[in-house]
This record gives sequence, structure tokens and C-alpha cells, in this order.
Amino acid sequence: MATTLSSLQARPATKAALEALLREKKLQAEAPPLRGEDRRHRRVPTGQGEIDGLLAGGFPRGHLSEVHGPVSSGRTGLVLALLARTTRTGSLAALVDPLDRFDPASAGAAGVALARLLWLRGPRGESEAPRPKALAEATAAVATLAGSGLFEIVVLDLAGVSDRERRRLPATTWVRLQRTVEETETALLLVADRHVAFGPGGVSLVFTRTGLRWSAPPGPGRLLTGLGARVSAGRHVLRSAEVAFAAFA
Amino acid sequence: MYGGLHSPRTLPSEDALLLVARGFTPRVEARGPTLVLLDLHGLGRAWPTPQELGRALLDAAASRALETQAALAFTRTAVLVLARARPGLTIVPAGGEAEALAPLPLALLDLAPEREELLLRWGLRTIGDLQRLPPDGLAARFGPEGPRLRRFARGEDEGVLVPAPVPASFEMTLELDWPVEGLEPLAFLLGRVLEPLCARLIRRGRRAASLGLDLGLVDGSTHRRTLRPAAPSGEPRTWRTLVLLDLEAHPPQDAIQRITARAEPTPAREVQFSLLDPAMPSPERLAETMARLHGWTAEGRGGEVRLLDTHRPGAFAVGTFSPGPATPAPGGSPPLRVALRAYRPPRLARVVLEEGAPAFVAAPGVRGAVTACAGPWRSSGDWWDAVWSREEWDVALADGGLFRLFFDRLREAWFVEGELD
Repeated sequence: MATTLSSLQARPATKAALEALLREKKLQAEAPPLRGEDRRHRRVPTGQGEIDGLLAGGFPRGHLSEVHGPVSSGRTGLVLALLARTTRTGSLAALVDPLDRFDPASAGAAGVALARLLWLRGPRGESEAPRPKALAEATAAVATLAGSGLFEIVVLDLAGVSDRERRRLPATTWVRLQRTVEETETALLLVADRHVAFGPGGVSLVFTRTGLRWSAPPGPGRLLTGLGARVSAGRHVLRSAEVAFAAFA
Repeated sequence: MYGGLHSPRTLPSEDALLLVARGFTPRVEARGPTLVLLDLHGLGRAWPTPQELGRALLDAAASRALETQAALAFTRTAVLVLARARPGLTIVPAGGEAEALAPLPLALLDLAPEREELLLRWGLRTIGDLQRLPPDGLAARFGPEGPRLRRFARGEDEGVLVPAPVPASFEMTLELDWPVEGLEPLAFLLGRVLEPLCARLIRRGRRAASLGLDLGLVDGSTHRRTLRPAAPSGEPRTWRTLVLLDLEAHPPQDAIQRITARAEPTPAREVQFSLLDPAMPSPERLAETMARLHGWTAEGRGGEVRLLDTHRPGAFAVGTFSPGPATPAPGGSPPLRVALRAYRPPRLARVVLEEGAPAFVAAPGVRGAVTACAGPWRSSGDWWDAVWSREEWDVALADGGLFRLFFDRLREAWFVEGELD
């Protein structure tokens, strides 16, 4: 005899067994996206409990968000954790890197599935500043990637780009990117040294250095074991959390 | 009426006779490389008599430099035997098949060797000898095969003609009345070529693995492009976008007079979708997106990165981005880790040492007193090829920045490899 919904409701033990089965088959909230599912209400988690708590579950889809902070505050570490979490679930991610700063070895160590990451790197050069038009090309590539809807997360790495270089971009750049991404299921993320832009539904994570950890007093055989950072989020009411990044396990 | 065309000599190609036969009728069956069978029903208006039709067949073969012999009869069996047996043209009137076959040797029936040997032992030499055997006796000795053998010898048919499929051509050409310049008008014209081409592919259950585009230009030259996306597609819109993006990067030198598109057919992709695994990216959309990023990928600045199996720092290769089926990795999320933001190439630095450890660093964009450091960590390798040897230091500067320095022991110079972030 076929099992009906009413009979399942009448027998809570059977329903619980069915739910347990579905949970076992990964049909829970953090499961990989299913074909045809409207995922815009599901955020893109970083996989780090404290930071996901600040972000109410992760970075919102269809919005421009940003991560900013000074050098060595852990911005890149968080981005790699996000890329690792995304690519390990089987989704695709893209990183647009106009200054060519991405280190594949660090990404591999952070757990990024490199086969599912599209990396677009800026032209190589001796100069620290990006080539003229490199930033414009990078933002155009971001628009292409975000508009394709293929990628769960698209990251534009502007850390190290001076304010002067960034201001050469048209003032409407970030509004255009927000408009491009808002009809898609992609989360768009900027990484920068200081605040650049984030969309009306996006989030801004601010990183502050709190200290370095070393394995021993100064001398031979000393190792950098990690760095600490305070992460703040929120538009009006700031919430913050302390996080630690491991350097050598 | 049926026709048979046979060449007693080796042919230049296997389908040479088929090509001749298809000039008369699409219902053609190949019986080996040197014999074809034609269904000639309904050709009476073009060739009123069998003699004229047979002569036309031989002439058509001769025009292709093929030496052939032909037979026309009202049964396929008779045609197949007579075409091989008699040179020139043989025409058999209706009902005369058995009589025409009678004097021919038994070997022309292509019987199984053991059966033919048995008949020869019985003293049978010609097809006529076999025709004259009593049907009851043949049935008693061979079973159901006996009467069938006798009907075969009398030139009577069994079964039906199985025409050879006409090879499909996936090529479309559009001759333009007026030459076009620029991609915008070309976009509309490409649709007129690509839409019927893709429709033809889809009707035959095929997709295009690659598309060859020949643009005949006004100056008489041909602008040739070949597109080979990551996945086969039968979508005209996708192909049009790919072609236009390719032509943007490689524009023709003159106005376009003729458009020829040629598809390489491949069986349609069959994917077994999974309920629980993540959806795969649409190959068409991925190909389109990668074509839009052609400027990045063509210069080797974009794609999938792969770590190389070496200890040399910063060793990796960038290849084509073609993610396969998703295989979610087991386990939870890895912990947060410090990442390197690499300077490419490493920045030459001036480093002041105190008690063997860096005390001050000055490099483009990096400058300050060292407040803490760890090192040196020596590494070297590739002594058999491009040798490298270095001492690494992780240093914290007074402004709070954390950098990785290394002293190149071969060049005896300091470099900043990147920021630790």
C-alpha cells in the first residue's frame, strides 16, 4: 500500500525516519545546490562559525559585499576559506586578480579545489601599480562572470590598489556591478585595503589586526604560528568577533 | 525494375559506384565494394526503354572513369547474379529470369562453401542444373532450405531492398548579393546560416563539436576560422555568439561576400542528472563565458590553476578552465590559514642585518624597521636544471605588516616575496 502524507503525519516515527534519511542524503540547509532550486535566499557561507554568525549565515547572493582591512589583517585568509568552502561543495568560484597577487600554493593549503576556481590574473609587470586600463578590464571581466550565473561566488581583489588608481574607474562602476549581479544567484565580493562599496543588501566586513603569534622567543628555529584579527560586520550596529589564522600547523 | 552495376576492377574509392547510382535513385543498396543494386521503379519518364536506362547507367560510370557492367531485370536476385556474370549491358524481360540464369555457373550464387561442394559432388555445374532438381527431393534433403535454394536459383526474390543511408552534409553556404562590413549586419546573416544548420544537426540527433567558418571576402581571399568550444552544442544562439566574439578578436580584412559554415557532427550529449549532487554548469553557457573572456585566456592570464609537483616556491601552471562533474569533498571546512599575497616578480630589497637577522627592510612599497622575525629557513632544489637556493624569513614591520623575505644565495640578493595576510 502506498505511503501517503497523512499516514506519515499519523506516524511521527516514520516521518522522523524519512527526515533522517533525507538529512543523511545531504538534503539539509548546507547541502550542495539542487537543480532548479531558487537559491537566492540561501547565503554563501564561509564555513567559519564566528564569521558566518556575523554574516547571518554567509555572504548574500545577488548583492555586492566587501571585505576590507590593512595588510596582514587576514582578508586573504578569509577569502581563501570562502573559496575553499564553495569549491569543496562542488560549486564554481572565480577570482579576478588585477595585481596578480593570488598564490596557488596558499589556496591549495587552505583547501581550495583549484579545478573549480577560475583565476583571471592581471598582466605581469615590474611596477607596483596596475597597468592603465587593467582595473577597467578587471571590472568588465567581473561583470561577465557575475552575469553568466555560473559561479557561486565572484571575488574582485583590489587589495594593494591605491585610491588614486581606483578613482580612475567610472563612478558608476559599483552600481553597475550591483545591478548586474542582483538578478543572479552569485555573491559578488570586493577585497580591498579600505571601504570601497557594497550593495543595499550586501555586507561589509572590516578586519583589524590584533596580534601575531610566534612559536618561540626570538632566535633560530622560530616559526610564525598565526595571526589574530578582529572582524566587524554590520551596517549600523557593529558586531565583531575575534578570529585566529594559522600559519604553520 | 531493378538494376545492378558491377565493376570487375578495383575501384578508386569504396563509394565510387554508390555515387554513380545515387545520380539515378536514392534507393541504392551496396552489396560489397564492387556491386550496387538500384531500385529503378518510376524512371520510365526519363528513360522510356530499359536499354536507354542501362546505357545511361554505363555512360554515367564511364564519365567517372569507371569500367562497369550492368544488368536490368525485374528481380533483385537475377540482377545481382547477371551484373557480375555478363560484360556490358544485360536486360532480362519480365518472367525471363530463370532462363537467363540457367547457363551461368553455380559459383555465382555465392552459396556457403560446404553447400556448393555438395552440389558439385552431385554433378551440378550450372544454375540451370539446380533449377531442374525436383522441389520435393530438395526439401527432403535440405529441409526448408531446399525450396528457398531452388527459388534463389530461379531468380525469385526474398526479403526487401535495404537502401544505404545517404551521408548527411552539415555545411551551409550563403552567397550575399551585396558585401557586408562590420559585425552587426553579419550577426543577422549568421543566423540565416546557423539556424538551419543546427536544426539539421538536431533532426539527426547530433550536435556540433566544432564549427568551421569560411568567409569569402571581396578581395578574393577566404577568412577561415575554426571554433572548438569546451562542449558540443546545437544551439544557434550560442554558436552565433561564439562566432561573433571570435570575429571581434580576429576580424576579416575586407568586406564579406560569402559565408560558409561547416559543422563537425558528434552524438548529442546524454547526461544522467542526479537528484542529490550539485548541478553541473551549462557547457554552452560556460563556453560562451570563456569566449567573452578570450582577451584574458588567450594571453595565458586566465584559467584553471594547477600546482606543479616540485618544491620550487611559486611553481604552478595555468590551463583551460573546464570543470568536470562536481564531486563534493568529504569533511568539514578547513580552518582559517594565513595566505601569501605574492609579488610577481619578487621585489628586490635592501635589508639591514643585526646579529644575523633582518632589522630593517626597504623595497618598493615595503619599508620599515623589523619588530619580530622568524627564520632563516633554507631550501634549495633543481640542481640538475635551473638551480635555486634561498633563505626565507617571515618579518613583522613596525607598521604592522607581515612579509616574507628571502635571501637568494646564488644571486646574493634580498627579495620581498609577498605579504602574509
